[in-house]
Amino acid sequence: MISRVTSTAMADQAIRHLQSNMSRLAKLQDQATSQRAFASPSADPAAAATALGLHADQRRTEQYARNIDDGLAWVTTVDSALSEAVSLLGRARDLTVQGANAGTMSPTSREAIAVELEGIRDALLAASETRIQDRLVFAGTTDAATAFDAAYGFNGVPGAEVNRRIADGVTVRVDADGAAVFGEGTGSVFALLDRIVADLRAGEDVSTHLGAIDERRTAMLTVQGSVGARTNQLERAREATMSASVSLESRRAAVEDVDSVEVLVKLQAQELVYRSALAVTGRVLQPSLLEFLR
Amino acid sequence: MSTFSGLQTAASGLAAARRAMDVVGQNIVNQTTEGYTRQRVRTQAVAATATHGRFSVGAAPGQGVAVTGVARLGDEVLDARVRDSMAAAGFTSVRALAATSAEATLAEPTDEGLAARLSAFWNGWQDLANTPTSGAAAAVVIESGRDITAQLANTYRAIAAQWTEMRAGVDRAVTEINTLAGQVADLNVQIRDGLAAGRSVNELLDQRSVLAQSLAYVAGATATVEADGTMTVRLDGNALVAGDRARAIAAAGAPTLDSGTAVAMRWADSGNALTLSQGTLGGQLSALAPASEGGPLAQVAGALNDLATALATSVNAAHQSGVTASGAPGGQFFSLASGVPAALGIQVAVTDAADLALGAPGAGAQDGSNADAISQLGQGADSPDRLWSERVSAFAVATAGDIQRARLAETTATTAVAAQQSVAAVDGDEETVNLVAFQSAYQAAARIVTAVDEALDVIINRMGLVGR
Repeated sequence: MISRVTSTAMADQAIRHLQSNMSRLAKLQDQATSQRAFASPSADPAAAATALGLHADQRRTEQYARNIDDGLAWVTTVDSALSEAVSLLGRARDLTVQGANAGTMSPTSREAIAVELEGIRDALLAASETRIQDRLVFAGTTDAATAFDAAYGFNGVPGAEVNRRIADGVTVRVDADGAAVFGEGTGSVFALLDRIVADLRAGEDVSTHLGAIDERRTAMLTVQGSVGARTNQLERAREATMSASVSLESRRAAVEDVDSVEVLVKLQAQELVYRSALAVTGRVLQPSLLEFLR
Repeated sequence: MSTFSGLQTAASGLAAARRAMDVVGQNIVNQTTEGYTRQRVRTQAVAATATHGRFSVGAAPGQGVAVTGVARLGDEVLDARVRDSMAAAGFTSVRALAATSAEATLAEPTDEGLAARLSAFWNGWQDLANTPTSGAAAAVVIESGRDITAQLANTYRAIAAQWTEMRAGVDRAVTEINTLAGQVADLNVQIRDGLAAGRSVNELLDQRSVLAQSLAYVAGATATVEADGTMTVRLDGNALVAGDRARAIAAAGAPTLDSGTAVAMRWADSGNALTLSQGTLGGQLSALAPASEGGPLAQVAGALNDLATALATSVNAAHQSGVTASGAPGGQFFSLASGVPAALGIQVAVTDAADLALGAPGAGAQDGSNADAISQLGQGADSPDRLWSERVSAFAVATAGDIQRARLAETTATTAVAAQQSVAAVDGDEETVNLVAFQSAYQAAARIVTAVDEALDVIINRMGLVGR
């Protein structure tokens, strides 16, 4: 008896089919307008899980990019401060060599050299207090006002570093150890210059200090070298982060976004199906035997 | 055989045709009535009366037509199949609906979801590690912590509200079932009496069939028709309606989501427990079930609580191992109020940027290494983020299963209804044809009356006039 077809059954079936056509149309319309391949995780649990992971990765990568930019600002600042310190020390060496020519120097010219050396010491002290965002780059984690106190003691915390996280599990040091660059206490470059000035004024031979100046210069260049290496590392990390963010975005889009063309084509096809369903329903539901009985 | 028996025969034909047209009319006007089953007049030819005596003239025709009843062209087997499929469809549709709306509350994987909030929180800590002295970065961390706690609480409340709404739905369903059962019992009485009196009870049967269908959809009840015409409706193997008696059921317990217990269904009279695993009520009960029994709402609530606890525990442990700018050891970043669900009880305990423990002990006032360590809590196998995304994925898989089952059950129900309707539904064209046929039958019967009348006219008015 399943083959008995009634007008009620046909009407019910027509409504059901129109409804399912409509729901497919609505789903495609939702995809086309929202540009999302799935509206809820249950529509595609595997894709939703991947999307959650990719979203977290993307946000982390954005943060790494910010960290790297910030880190680059630090290392650039440290590098230029170090360059300045190295050239100041070079000038101090020249002056010391000049002052060592004991025979030809008048007390006045020795005093002039001494004054200039004092100026260089102050400039070096100023360089040691280079700041970025109000933080000392040579004594990174301290909240002291200066990197070196009046007795040239280092204010920084030994062993403490300012780091930037540039990738999962990778951090880079972006400050420099002031004690390694300038020395501490009596061994510091400031105390050294003070001794040279004192010896100049006392008329003693200052050429004995040249070795100490060169030693300090080597120390500065060593630190500058490692800062340069870290700058390179940050630059490379920036490139890597950029390409990672592009690849993450394309993976996310592949999982989460719809192919517009595909959806539009499907939408067109579905619309055609819906239209024909409407037309067919209209024709099938209309006729009745009563119309033909006269 | 009387002279006028031809008229009697024609009259019975007229009556039968008229009755048949009446039934066609009933069919046509009830074409769209819910649960109406088409009817047909059942007729029988009346046999010739036995004749004895001197005037008997051999073979005689029958005495016309008799209407023996109005048949209801339904099929009990197909009705039962509809009830079974309705019971399954009711169960799965409610469960799927509950799961999808809970899923919508989570808003994953969008920017409004908790996963995005967590990412923003961890990124905030990293910004703070970069600039430990920045008040703005500290404010961002505290605010994004509050964002998370607010969203946890709001999501939990939305789930709890959905639960409460559905719990009220259980009470409504119980009332509806008791009312329906009472109506079936009333109809049983009317049908039994009607059958005993020989009346047509077709319309009452239709009504009872609709009620039984509703009971199957709501409660997953099964029904059988007994020999005396009454319907026995069973729930969980016990009679809900038997003859003229209807029993009531009651729901008790589990007033809120937090109570963590299942709603207890009982027979109102005996107090015996009742297990409902079909129908919309069964679906509601399974959606309301505790997490350990697979209740989707309780599972989501449990996931929110677990996330709140994991977040508070891991962040607090890391925060307490650091020191603030003034060198004081860090306190709790999140506080968990006791006595309430973790998702509602979690709060940001730190209100002042100075209380944030950003540095490692002894590493200087402007050290940000502890903030960096906290920012890394979002990664790893046992991180809160991983816990959340695993729970969301597991819930999505379960929900997809529920939706799939609901679709399947709906298709089955649609097929069963189509099969039932293919037998029981009224077809306008068919009824029109019948109408034409019965009309012709009526006209023909009327013509017989005319023919007999004319024949009698010959006897009465023209006989004996020969040669006048």
